[in-house]
Amino acid sequence: MTTLPSQSPTMSNAPRSDSDRDARDEHRADHQTTTAGGTDRLAADDGQTRQVEDTGHPCIRIADFNAWYGSFQALHALNLDIPRNQVTAFIGPSGCGKSTLLRWLNRMNDIVPSAHSRGVLTLDGIDVLSPSTDVVNLRRRVGMVFQKPNPFPKSIFENVAFGPRLHLRVRRGELEELVEWALRKAAVWEEVKDRLHSPALGLSGGQQQRLCIARAIAVGPDVLLMDEPCSALDPASTLAIEDLIYELRRQYTIVMVTHNMQQASRCSDRTAFFYEGKLIESGATQELFTKPQEKRTDDYVRGRFG
Amino acid sequence: MSSVPTAAGDLSMEPAPGSLRGSAAPPPIELQAASDNSRRRKLYSRLFYILCVLISLLSVVVLAVLLASITIQGQGMLTWQLLTGSHSELYPESSGMWPSIIGSIAICGICALSALPLGIGTAIFLEEFKPKSKPLRMLHGFIQLNIANLAGVPSIVYGLLGLSLFVFMFNVFGQIQVNESAGLELMGVKRYYQVLTLAGDGHTVLIPQDDDAEPTIQIDQPVIAVDDQGNEFELSLWEIGTPRPTDPAEKRMTVRKGAIGGSYARTNWSYFRLPFGRSFLAAGLTLALVILPIVIIASQESLRSVPPSLREASFGLGATVWQTVRNVSLPAALPGILTGSILAMGRAIGEAAPVLVVLGATVAKNSGPQNMMDNVVTMPVLIFNWAGRQQATYQELAAAAIIVLLVVLLLMNSAAIYLRQRMRIEA
Repeated sequence: MTTLPSQSPTMSNAPRSDSDRDARDEHRADHQTTTAGGTDRLAADDGQTRQVEDTGHPCIRIADFNAWYGSFQALHALNLDIPRNQVTAFIGPSGCGKSTLLRWLNRMNDIVPSAHSRGVLTLDGIDVLSPSTDVVNLRRRVGMVFQKPNPFPKSIFENVAFGPRLHLRVRRGELEELVEWALRKAAVWEEVKDRLHSPALGLSGGQQQRLCIARAIAVGPDVLLMDEPCSALDPASTLAIEDLIYELRRQYTIVMVTHNMQQASRCSDRTAFFYEGKLIESGATQELFTKPQEKRTDDYVRGRFG
Repeated sequence: MSSVPTAAGDLSMEPAPGSLRGSAAPPPIELQAASDNSRRRKLYSRLFYILCVLISLLSVVVLAVLLASITIQGQGMLTWQLLTGSHSELYPESSGMWPSIIGSIAICGICALSALPLGIGTAIFLEEFKPKSKPLRMLHGFIQLNIANLAGVPSIVYGLLGLSLFVFMFNVFGQIQVNESAGLELMGVKRYYQVLTLAGDGHTVLIPQDDDAEPTIQIDQPVIAVDDQGNEFELSLWEIGTPRPTDPAEKRMTVRKGAIGGSYARTNWSYFRLPFGRSFLAAGLTLALVILPIVIIASQESLRSVPPSLREASFGLGATVWQTVRNVSLPAALPGILTGSILAMGRAIGEAAPVLVVLGATVAKNSGPQNMMDNVVTMPVLIFNWAGRQQATYQELAAAAIIVLLVVLLLMNSAAIYLRQRMRIEA
């Protein structure tokens, strides 16, 4: 969390005054001047040069990002940096846009015909939003785990092998190794190794979700997006997934949406609080939960609303 | 009638429970009234249930009456002869429907081969490829709207469309007239001149035709000819005034010098020409038009019922749209697509109107189609023809043929159910 560059607008701009609205407007104005007239492409180049200069640069940069569903604006001028190899949690009440933002990070919203966006979203200097960006390669680098476990109605082995088969021509032996590696990584190998070829839908919910994580990491991503990965699971399975997330962050940059504030505090390094499509506050999880700068954040983490 | 005043009485009481919300006063409704109400509600529920049962029984009864009357009428004719014989004008009692069974299967085959890929492809386009650009979205909506409309078009209209589109092809390739032009022949046909030999019993030989435009040939010099077995031999000539050959075998290989040969076309199974004429190919394609909207709508429905989460999972792993369709959507939707397709085929096999328009009312054929341009009889057309005749035997034959058609339909529908169950278990 200390690796964040100081010029990160959100961090430096974490509103100090009580009149947070003014502060945010000010900050938005600031940002507009810095990127005034700059296109996405320019901004992406900017990100790239920074990458060369600074090894501790954030993995994902979000700057002045707006998103719409049709005419409804779901996200308003977001500025956020997501650091590498850490767990970043998005919290906030339902409908606050945290899932929308997550789904823009790997362009999952391309499926929704009415969804469109404006702003800067870069991943390691790659302009995520540019139409010329290859979505297939992007999603290969940015894996996703969904709210409800959604294994394919195939065998466990076929589920994990699905991703590698899409991208590479692999021999059976290599594939078997890869599947075992991914299942071990997702801490589900011991439970399924004897029934790799039985249907994945026969597993328990928690096992299915870990299988989905294995399926996502089998493709070899850098970033894992998790959209409320434990919301459909029982406490024991939730614990297993949380442990797994904690393990995986050594290797992957993890962005997690959660409704569960205990979960955010247990397994995330950084937390961003969203409210009504706006980023209210973000920072180190410990600080955000104990010394929130914003009244609304304070109310939310104390459970006064949401 | 007596229940109406009570209902009105109840209605007048309604404001009372409404006022409950404001105050904590006890409900002003007597318990007795409440229980009356519940008794009536239960009675209505029971009446509604009985009504539903009666309505559903009605349709079953209609079907049962239909089946019973047909069985009584047609059981006498339900013989092996019916399945293996062909239509006979002279001996109605020995008539059969074998050519029409083959014809229906042939037409349905063409129909399935053309309608299923087109229909499933269209459904995939409409369901899986959601376009983002405005013109494409409009095209999308336009196609969707039209498919819904096409499903409601009467089948005889499709028959007329098939007639001009497939049978005549708007006459752009020429008209098919007996013994004259045959449109644009592409393959499977060889033209010969047919010449009488000296054998005297009407025996002919065939001489391969080089120039399609020349309708006749005059034999003045020895040429290569083809005999019945397809062997080539040199045709010898006999000039009037010289002694005639006496050996019967030699007679069969000799023609009179100066004899005239007329054009004769020999077609094999691969015969193909444009336009299609009154052929089973044209009929199959016309039926494909009839069932195309049904196939599209059924396939769309079953693609829509594939959980979006599966598609998202596939896209999330970096799959392209094609990979997602191929590996996820289509396998999951296949049972539904197959069921819808088989039901649509059942509709196609029972259609009479478009087939009548396209093929004409041919019934007197004693075999199935010999090539793709051959006319066929189908079961519904045969039934239509038989049922309209005066003789009682034909009426009974029609009833028996209906039973056969129903059995075929039943077999197809059970195949659909079986396939769906099996795939559901596998999945």
